[in-house]
Amino acid sequence: MSRIGVFICHCGENISRTVDVERVAAEIGKHPGVAFSTDYKYMCSDPGQTLLKKAIQEQKLTHVVVAACSPRMHEKTFRKAVEAAGLNPFLCEMANIREHCSWVHENMEEATVKAIDIVGMMVERVKKNRVLPTITVPVTKRALVIGGGIAGIQAALDIADCGHEVILVEREPSIGGHMAQLSETFPTLDCSQCIMTPKMVDVANHPKIKLYTHSEIELVEGYIGNFQVTIKKKARSVDEDKCTGCGVCMTKCPQKKIPNKFDQNIGMRTAIYVPFPQAVPNTPVIDRDNCTWFKTGKCSVCQKVCGPGAVDFEQQDCLVVEAVGAIVVATGFDLYSIAEKPKGSPIKGYGEFGHGKIPDVIDGMTFERLASASGPTGGKILRPSDGKEPKQIVFIQCIGSRAREKGISYCSKVCCMYTAKHTMLYHHKVHDGQAYVFFMDARTPGKSYDEFWRRSIEEEEAVYIRGMVSRLYQKGDKIVVMGSDIAVGVQVEIEADMVVLATAIQPQKGADTLAQKLGISYDKYHFYSEAHAKLRPVECATAGIYLAGACQGPKDIPETVSQASAAAAKVMTLFSRDKLEREPIVARVREAGCVGCFACKKVCAYGAVEEKEIRDRQGNLIKVVAYVNPGVCAGCGTCQATCPSKCVELDGYTDEQIIAMIEAL
Amino acid sequence: MKKKKMVISQETMDVDFVRKVEALADTSVRRCFQCGKCSAGCPMATFMEHPPNRVVRLLQLGQWRRVLEGRSIWYCASCETCSTRCPNKVQLASIMDALRKLSWDAEGPSKESYVQLANKLFLQNIRTYGRQYEMRLAAVFNVKSGQFLKDLMLGPKLIAKGKLKMFHSKNKNLSEIEKIFSRIEEMRKKGEAL
Repeated sequence: MSRIGVFICHCGENISRTVDVERVAAEIGKHPGVAFSTDYKYMCSDPGQTLLKKAIQEQKLTHVVVAACSPRMHEKTFRKAVEAAGLNPFLCEMANIREHCSWVHENMEEATVKAIDIVGMMVERVKKNRVLPTITVPVTKRALVIGGGIAGIQAALDIADCGHEVILVEREPSIGGHMAQLSETFPTLDCSQCIMTPKMVDVANHPKIKLYTHSEIELVEGYIGNFQVTIKKKARSVDEDKCTGCGVCMTKCPQKKIPNKFDQNIGMRTAIYVPFPQAVPNTPVIDRDNCTWFKTGKCSVCQKVCGPGAVDFEQQDCLVVEAVGAIVVATGFDLYSIAEKPKGSPIKGYGEFGHGKIPDVIDGMTFERLASASGPTGGKILRPSDGKEPKQIVFIQCIGSRAREKGISYCSKVCCMYTAKHTMLYHHKVHDGQAYVFFMDARTPGKSYDEFWRRSIEEEEAVYIRGMVSRLYQKGDKIVVMGSDIAVGVQVEIEADMVVLATAIQPQKGADTLAQKLGISYDKYHFYSEAHAKLRPVECATAGIYLAGACQGPKDIPETVSQASAAAAKVMTLFSRDKLEREPIVARVREAGCVGCFACKKVCAYGAVEEKEIRDRQGNLIKVVAYVNPGVCAGCGTCQATCPSKCVELDGYTDEQIIAMIEAL
Repeated sequence: MKKKKMVISQETMDVDFVRKVEALADTSVRRCFQCGKCSAGCPMATFMEHPPNRVVRLLQLGQWRRVLEGRSIWYCASCETCSTRCPNKVQLASIMDALRKLSWDAEGPSKESYVQLANKLFLQNIRTYGRQYEMRLAAVFNVKSGQFLKDLMLGPKLIAKGKLKMFHSKNKNLSEIEKIFSRIEEMRKKGEAL
């Protein structure tokens, strides 16, 4: 006969506000099998857990039900407490009377009755719980880092410095990401290249880091500690081992007018190219869409001039499989191009700003390239249309961001600061010019950030105008900015030479596809979701996968670096053990009944179902049955639902348990 | 009142004037971030068409003409609540002083700056008679401000109580008073006084 203990939590007032917890405890105490029931203000707190442990020992409890919040929140906490009291942790279940009851109801009487039902169901269920032994799996102590921006670089370096092997995969031909594009960085105005390139070189030279550039993730299989990742190395058309990076091929290439994406399409590059001179690796790549040889079969100048004979037109995409134990996702961001309404996107375009139509209306990243010493203008601020120096420059913040009706409701976080920086850079380079900024709010939380913004106004003489701009239009060679100053309460008109838009930060293109490959969740904007907004900000809900940088949400460099190091620390925590304990919630096949139809094998998303031969003592084959590899099984229960002969059961979620719950209602 | 659109450029932003204000008031208008605390505590703000924060905002944009055309600076009671409470140490009371002075020098573009006119006439009287001659002050003020009948009915009452003399009386040491005035004039020419 089971002796079940039921513990009802008030959750401060979260539950007790709408559920009469004392009545629930009293009612459930009468339930057959329940030996003890009580309520407490905070069950998850130390005194609450002590109460639970004491009750187990004193009342000789065999099963425990904690009626509190969602098991996602505290199942681990209570199972640990139960284990400490000497019971198997899987004999403890949680009844969710917060999210499923108190938070969604207002009527106390009805909510209390529902809470009693929920707890009653879990009591019936826990009676059928079995002792489950913990499963241990080996850990492959190698990490995969996806994305070679500052987040990926920082995470890779931290993990590698700890002595573990790191695979760093970057989609572009060079690592560096957006930070390599920046001119100077706030709030200290140190040159981005100067602090970024040494890190890039460190990555390239690190004996523990294996770098895959111009590569993408094709397939991810496995689970925490044991992932198999297939990486597609896109054909570079240049042999990385032979190439010395002399750059002769680039000087001789006849195709010289291809817009360089790294320079925001303002600068030009050749068909065989490195995105920027400090690229790592310094091996060129042939852009096959624009190369004359690939288009017409003629040319091959680069191949002729290449001393070591590294140019290889025959190179094909190839697939590499790497075994890793943890994955850090650091795919970063992309700027929202407001020029047109993206197809199939809920995001509406912005016709009123003329972006894409008026040549001198540019975005923030383009301004960075103009201001960068290594940029297409050599650090001079010049208009893209006629190459003249703009004397009146207008910056407009919150373009795309914080506009719920236009599709993006979040704040892009970095624009206030980088616009302040832009006004300074402009003032340093164009002494007789005047910078104006239209803004709604200046959001400058961060160390030395507000001081930096104030400096742009008080010392660098930027004129900030609170109020949004309604429209931009071309008038002669000027751009008329129609705005308003809400502090004065009048309309404002400025005839500007150039306009810089602080466009919203969005996740990198293809973020959703990658998330589907990895099996991690993302929000409606395709930013990746962390497991817990406050307490697990760098982990995904999927075990073994961690997040770093702007792929999780808009972030500046200091925050990105912190998160990358935090993700690295999480990876190192995982790697500190040789074996990993995992929950024994796995499927089990009742071999006697299995007919070997393998319907389960077809539906298993994790490839956990194998074929097993059953032989008699003489070695004659009796039948082939399904076998679930407990190391690979993720406990999703699809096989259990599929099996026509009901021969697969998920431990902890057996049919018997579920039916007991239904019958309790 | 129709609100004129503000066309902003380096030409329309009169930075020199603002620098002059900043020098006179020994403060910086750029420090202001428009929190509005000055206007929140100002006892006269309800009477001003440009509350104190907006006066600073207009100065930030070099739009001093808009400030001087209004009467805000003349309504300021110089109580210094704004300066005392400002989180950015913008000496708004000093700015108001400076603006009044510059308005005085520029013969005040404000059509409604009666205070300025009254102040001027007051001092003229002192300079001429060595003391105040209220009857003349009231008469000239009414004529110059175009409000001929303003407070006319107060006259008999004041006369009856002996508060308003019909004829002026001169100070004996008129030359001494003239010395004071001419010295101040000289000092202002040299830039030693406001």
